[in-house]
Amino acid sequence: MAQTRREFLKKTAALSAASYVGMNLPYERIGVAEAADVQSWHRGSCRLCGAGCRVEMGVNNGKAVALRGVPDSRTNFGYVCMKGMLFYKCMDHPDRLTKPLYREKKTDKFKEISWDKALDIAASKFAGTVKKDGSNAVGYYGSGQALTEETYIFQKVFRGGLQTNNVEGNPRLCMASAVGGYLTSFGADEPIGGYADIEKAHCFFLIGSNLAEAHPVIFRRLMRRKLDNKKTVKFINADPRFSQTSRIADLHLQFDPGTDLALLNAMAQVIIEEDLHDKAFLNDYVTFKQGKKVSVEFEAYKKFVADYTPEKAARICKGNITPEMIRTTARWFATSKGTMSLWTMGINQRKRGVWANNLIHNLHILTGQLMKPGADSLSMTGQPNACGGVREGGGLCHILPGHRLVKKEKLRNQVEDAWGIPHGRIPPKPGLHTMAMFSAVNKGKIKALWVNCTSPVQSLPNTNLYTKGMQREDVFIVCTDIFPTLTTEVANLVLPTAFHFEKTGVYGCTERRSQITVKAVDAPKGAMPEVWIVREWAKKLATKMNDPVISQCIAPFEGLEPDYALPKAIWDEYTQKLTKGRDNDLRGATYKVLEQMADGVQWPAATEAFALTGGTVKKFVRGMDPMADSEAKDDKPYQFYGHAHPDRKLWIWLREQASPEEVPDADYPFYLSTGRIVDHWHTTSMTGRIPELLRANPYAYVEINPKDAKKHGIRPNDMVEVTSRRGTNTLPAKVYEGPIEGMVFVYWHDMHPDRMINKVTKDAFDPGSKEPEFKICACKINRVSGPKALKPYIV
Amino acid sequence: MPIGGFIINIDPENSIEALKYLSDISCLEVHGSDDHGNIVAVIDTETSKEMQKVVDDLNKLEFVLTVGLTYINVEDEGEGVLDTAGHDLFQAIRDTETEITA
Repeated sequence: MAQTRREFLKKTAALSAASYVGMNLPYERIGVAEAADVQSWHRGSCRLCGAGCRVEMGVNNGKAVALRGVPDSRTNFGYVCMKGMLFYKCMDHPDRLTKPLYREKKTDKFKEISWDKALDIAASKFAGTVKKDGSNAVGYYGSGQALTEETYIFQKVFRGGLQTNNVEGNPRLCMASAVGGYLTSFGADEPIGGYADIEKAHCFFLIGSNLAEAHPVIFRRLMRRKLDNKKTVKFINADPRFSQTSRIADLHLQFDPGTDLALLNAMAQVIIEEDLHDKAFLNDYVTFKQGKKVSVEFEAYKKFVADYTPEKAARICKGNITPEMIRTTARWFATSKGTMSLWTMGINQRKRGVWANNLIHNLHILTGQLMKPGADSLSMTGQPNACGGVREGGGLCHILPGHRLVKKEKLRNQVEDAWGIPHGRIPPKPGLHTMAMFSAVNKGKIKALWVNCTSPVQSLPNTNLYTKGMQREDVFIVCTDIFPTLTTEVANLVLPTAFHFEKTGVYGCTERRSQITVKAVDAPKGAMPEVWIVREWAKKLATKMNDPVISQCIAPFEGLEPDYALPKAIWDEYTQKLTKGRDNDLRGATYKVLEQMADGVQWPAATEAFALTGGTVKKFVRGMDPMADSEAKDDKPYQFYGHAHPDRKLWIWLREQASPEEVPDADYPFYLSTGRIVDHWHTTSMTGRIPELLRANPYAYVEINPKDAKKHGIRPNDMVEVTSRRGTNTLPAKVYEGPIEGMVFVYWHDMHPDRMINKVTKDAFDPGSKEPEFKICACKINRVSGPKALKPYIV
Repeated sequence: MPIGGFIINIDPENSIEALKYLSDISCLEVHGSDDHGNIVAVIDTETSKEMQKVVDDLNKLEFVLTVGLTYINVEDEGEGVLDTAGHDLFQAIRDTETEITA
């Protein structure tokens, strides 16, 4: 590269960075602005976490050659993390699937076949299964990483076409408890506020989240807010593990895993005892619930939490928790000008995840830290489209698009009418949730399963058990993906898909914001967008089943080219017909609008004009949320119109401390917790194929507290067996003041058979949300040897 | 030979120490800094792998709070590293034995 061009690119890079922080550099843009660093820039969302960072991909000659953040985006303000910087490397990767692969038996080798043959096989198998064994013998297991258009068309064909509600997705494993929490506390799913509250908050309460590694760009915003206001902004981190996030905390609360419900109740006790609760807000807007049908008065709630004195809670929580820490935390929480709580899987992936969510919401409702700027109760979404595609688009077994419950006939009929199919076509009962679905696979009750953009062989808890089922020869499995995974290893048919920026579609991130990514480069020849795959499969399905209703399901999408027109038509149907008048009204967020915006639209946004402003920053607030105005029943400034609360109030729940399903005992004396690490994404099918990221963390290790390591004679890098009642991993030890004494931590990304920690985790799940308790189970550790040379492993 | 534009965030109290340290990193140029702990840096390396390592090393420094990428150009790197790689090259990277030492 010529020196002058290199210097030009360096200045471009520097000026780009400087512009984000309002810094003037000692040289000017003259000469830089006029030149072009790439042929074209294409805007979209990052492919990875739920933060919703907006990026632009620079393309030369049809190839991605540059990436930059979008500075005007209200999610990331232009910043990107290392994973986001490098995800483009998946595009030209030599491991990309480019041809359909088929084998009749799972012990055979795959053979390459044509698309026509592949879709014919898929249609024959699903049609044959439905005819022989009924509609509930088939299922779809999708993903919070699929585009909304993909999830929508899949579930339309499965529900309206094949007449099954066995439509599930991996957000069941990460966000279902957050859904349950929002619905039972606020009456509607998804947060009231969003990221805009960060720069106005005066107290951050981070619990069950290592934001610095799981959502680094959002963490950056909190960190900046704290650094710019060191004395006036408080940062509280509640986590049994000291993590990267804990480094900037004023207070790190470290407690035994699963004891945080007592902590949260104790905070409520302090708040009431010290008269820090917002009586006017409680009086106007709150009901106290002791059960679904049992409402009580404030005095009953006060009496309930009175039992959770800080002294009692400290005894339950152990760790470094003292009564005074609890009091300080409660006071900071209640008295700040705006308190924002953020959490992720430490709260959601629990046997009582919904309760844990409720207890955090309780504190916000109790103190009125909710509707004002800087105050919010925000469950950070793990995946980029768990909200938009799955929670909103109808990707779980009990919900239809537009936040409609399957079990309500009137709502099923609305969907059937929108689809132009007969009433009664969508079955009246919810289908199987994820753990039940894979249990049904185990028993051979589900005989044809479509797995899209996810790898349950690695991501399910107690995975050995469910892999056995997926290996059954009488269970036909189709996988749609970009790379081989551990799940394609148990498939009969593998269909190669287009990757992000190789197709067009929408992601809806944590803060109710829908954002578009338009196709920028071609997929490798042979790989196709999922929306095309489903349409073409459904055509064959309709013929094989001689069912015109299946044809009707895809009729609006016939003949449309797959790169833009087809996803647009799907998005239009979903938003204009299925979100109309619903709390996630997205009618204003047309492709035309979304493509104009640096970021995207927070629903509800019923009109294009409102959508172009960015949409609803705070739900339920009159003047900010158009539905709060249109649904208003009185003059109050807040209108809680969420469909799940007929009394139109926020609910404070009386929830006891409840232990995890499996706690340490004499045989298995350690807590095992699992989580993510900054360099990798989920099953590493993508990040494990990017050499820079793989090199940073080539394999999993077990974090052990130094005191525990000493007791067990374990030195750094020794090989250690981590064993539960379900399985064993053998991992190198990282002796580190991270996990609390008595707990070990393993990140779950590694797919090596000896280091795949979901072999060890437990598949207990929340009785309400059905989300598994990945975060806590019991294990024992045993040193097996000194350090050993290890190889990274990608299937 | 990728070029990346970064904002390195430090505690402003550590500015002098940080700027001195960063100026000694050969592939890193400091283009500006302010009183809020923002440092504009450009990293210019032979490969993305090296850039990743530099960023990793920066993140481990006590005085560094975050390293935020804002721009990257890889037009040079795209011309050869993976084009002819195929399975074999990646297999080699994947299967490299990595010794861990205590």
